[in-house]
Amino acid sequence: MTKITIFEEAMCCSTGVCGPDPDKELVRFTNTVERLGDEHSDVTVERANMSADIQRFLEHEAVHEKVESDGPDVLPITVADGDIIAEGEYLSYDALTDAIDTRQEREA
Amino acid sequence: MEQPHPKDIVAPDSEETEFVFFSGKGGVGKSTVSCATAAWLAEEGHDTLLVTTDPAPNLSDIFGQSIGHSITSLDDVANLSAIEIDPDEAAQEYRDRTLDPMRELLDDEQLETVEEQLDSPCVEEIAAFDKFVEFMDEPEHDVVVFDTAPTGHTIRLMELPSGWNEELEDGGATCIGPAASMQDAKERYEAAIDTLGDEDRTSFVFVGRPEDAAINEVERSSADLADLGISTDLMVVNGYLPEEVCEDPFFEDKWADEQAVIDRVEASFEDKPVITYPLQPGEITGTDLLADVAAVLYEEADPTVDIESTASASESASLDRTVDRDAVMEQLRPQDETRYLFFTGKGGVGKSTMAATTATVLADEGYDTLIVTTDPASHLQDVFGTTVGHDPTPVGSSGLHAARIDQDRALEEYKQQMLDQVEESFADDADVDAETAKAQVKEELDSPCAEEMAALEKFVGYLDSDEYDVVVFDTAPTGHTLRLLELPSDWKGFMDLGSLTKDAADGSGDKYDRVIETMRDPAQSSFVFVMYPEYTPMVEAHRAAKDLRDQVDIETSLVAVNYLLPDEYGDNAFFEQRRSQQGTYLDQIDDRFDVPAMLAPLRRDEPTGPDELADFGRDIAGLPDEIGHAERLEADPS
Repeated sequence: MTKITIFEEAMCCSTGVCGPDPDKELVRFTNTVERLGDEHSDVTVERANMSADIQRFLEHEAVHEKVESDGPDVLPITVADGDIIAEGEYLSYDALTDAIDTRQEREA
Repeated sequence: MEQPHPKDIVAPDSEETEFVFFSGKGGVGKSTVSCATAAWLAEEGHDTLLVTTDPAPNLSDIFGQSIGHSITSLDDVANLSAIEIDPDEAAQEYRDRTLDPMRELLDDEQLETVEEQLDSPCVEEIAAFDKFVEFMDEPEHDVVVFDTAPTGHTIRLMELPSGWNEELEDGGATCIGPAASMQDAKERYEAAIDTLGDEDRTSFVFVGRPEDAAINEVERSSADLADLGISTDLMVVNGYLPEEVCEDPFFEDKWADEQAVIDRVEASFEDKPVITYPLQPGEITGTDLLADVAAVLYEEADPTVDIESTASASESASLDRTVDRDAVMEQLRPQDETRYLFFTGKGGVGKSTMAATTATVLADEGYDTLIVTTDPASHLQDVFGTTVGHDPTPVGSSGLHAARIDQDRALEEYKQQMLDQVEESFADDADVDAETAKAQVKEELDSPCAEEMAALEKFVGYLDSDEYDVVVFDTAPTGHTLRLLELPSDWKGFMDLGSLTKDAADGSGDKYDRVIETMRDPAQSSFVFVMYPEYTPMVEAHRAAKDLRDQVDIETSLVAVNYLLPDEYGDNAFFEQRRSQQGTYLDQIDDRFDVPAMLAPLRRDEPTGPDELADFGRDIAGLPDEIGHAERLEADPS
């Protein structure tokens, strides 16, 4: 079981359609998350939006330190089971599944 | 069918806290009726909380005690507490609550960026809803009485929760992202929604004036609520003319019109009680008058209309004041470029009539004029006696065209444009299925923000055309909506997704900058606030005008004061008193707005057809009556 958390900038909604940051990237990523959920039963994906879930930013030590030192530009940060695996960009579906596979192989 | 008794509708009869909501337009007497209800419930021994979200609260006038933004118990009424929720303050509290926890992580500059990003059009709406939910959980009170914000607004607030809940269950972020902790909020929202639909705990009361337009609006709102599973329990028709004071044909006719409306209400709400309360010579303040209202509402008493005691206070007041016609016409006639006239004000103040008469006057002066309405309840076609559709059609006088923006259709078009855009973006994308992406975007588009955006887009379309000398809008965007045009470039990018991308050569950002420049330029644009000379309509209009200035730097050009009592009718103490009260508010409007005023008398019938419109229009702008067309053309500076 792998738990992925994406720490994102403060924004209004997940697709960005009604948000301040209209981004094709966000529509794409929303799709990626949905696909991961559908196609990988051993993976859970959660999104933490700074405006809605600031508590989770504060509680995650590594994320907390990163944002504090580098500013919100370092977001989005992708975390797999507590470890930061990417920052400053949304991973593509392939990159995300590769990262998950590598971790799961290592654990096995 | 046996009607329930009004007092059983509002009085709590269970262990749990019960809720009474009063719905209706500003200025119909919602505050009075909800205060009377709250005071009555308290007198009956129920521990009562009165919550007002009225942007122009006047609880302090009604109770003679200042209330404010926190729960305050009333000195004169045992068992009663009240709170006035200032929507601006609520929005600020809400933003602070979201931003405060971020201080630990972000510096001031970064915080400011986030704050700007979160300044979305929904924040005020969300903040108001959040407050409302807060008071749905008040176990220490037996009953909570809400003097809610105007109807359409209320309904949007009600509609939101079910959508939000779905979003929360999906674990996705949502348009209410700025909530400090959504998971915590979820339970509260769910409880509130359950309670709203619970017949035993929640009652909805509509308040309206005895006017056809007002009652149409109530019926629409009531039907919308019914779609959400919320039934209307009680209808209060407030402010009818007492028969004994209507002593001349003008007011006898007015009285008969109102009685016909009341009959219509009784027929349409057949299985619900309909209660009427008369217009009073003065304003309803103080606990004695409140007790009179409550006795009529809940104890089947006859109303007291005390004319004699107040009559001596008033001189023979005349409302026949001079209109500064040069100052008024200077704001209405075009100069070198197209002139845009925006009539703004709350529903029921007579915006459409003011806009139509003004447009007719300008067309008669020889200007090519287009009148555009966005009002779903538009009676432009009644006014002109011609069908008015989506595209401009000639109406009335020569040189006059009219068009109606269909909000539903505009919203559909807007959504379709957004979805087409997504489809195009992902058509050749191997990673993303365009249909799935569209489905996700579609969900986001079911938000009040999208409605606002859609209306704005249509509006901008008309604003950017120079086919006419004058374009008259019978509904103006609010400062709040216009602020969208000024948001950081990211927001403009968002709007680029819409139809405006189609003029590829013209960056939409520039286009919006031009639009807002046009609206700010007093030589090209005039904002006209329409109101009637009473407290709530005046305060609401003034607040909206201030909003326009604060948010987007647009100054008000004119006011139009409607429904002034004519001098020649109503020759008795009752109307003297009313006239003197209108005179007081006319002076206050002058002081507060400090702009030229168009003055419109109360009339027997609304003007219809080109001739009546032209006459009425000249009258309210202070132009001479019998001036011929040729003379008018001569007077035309162009």
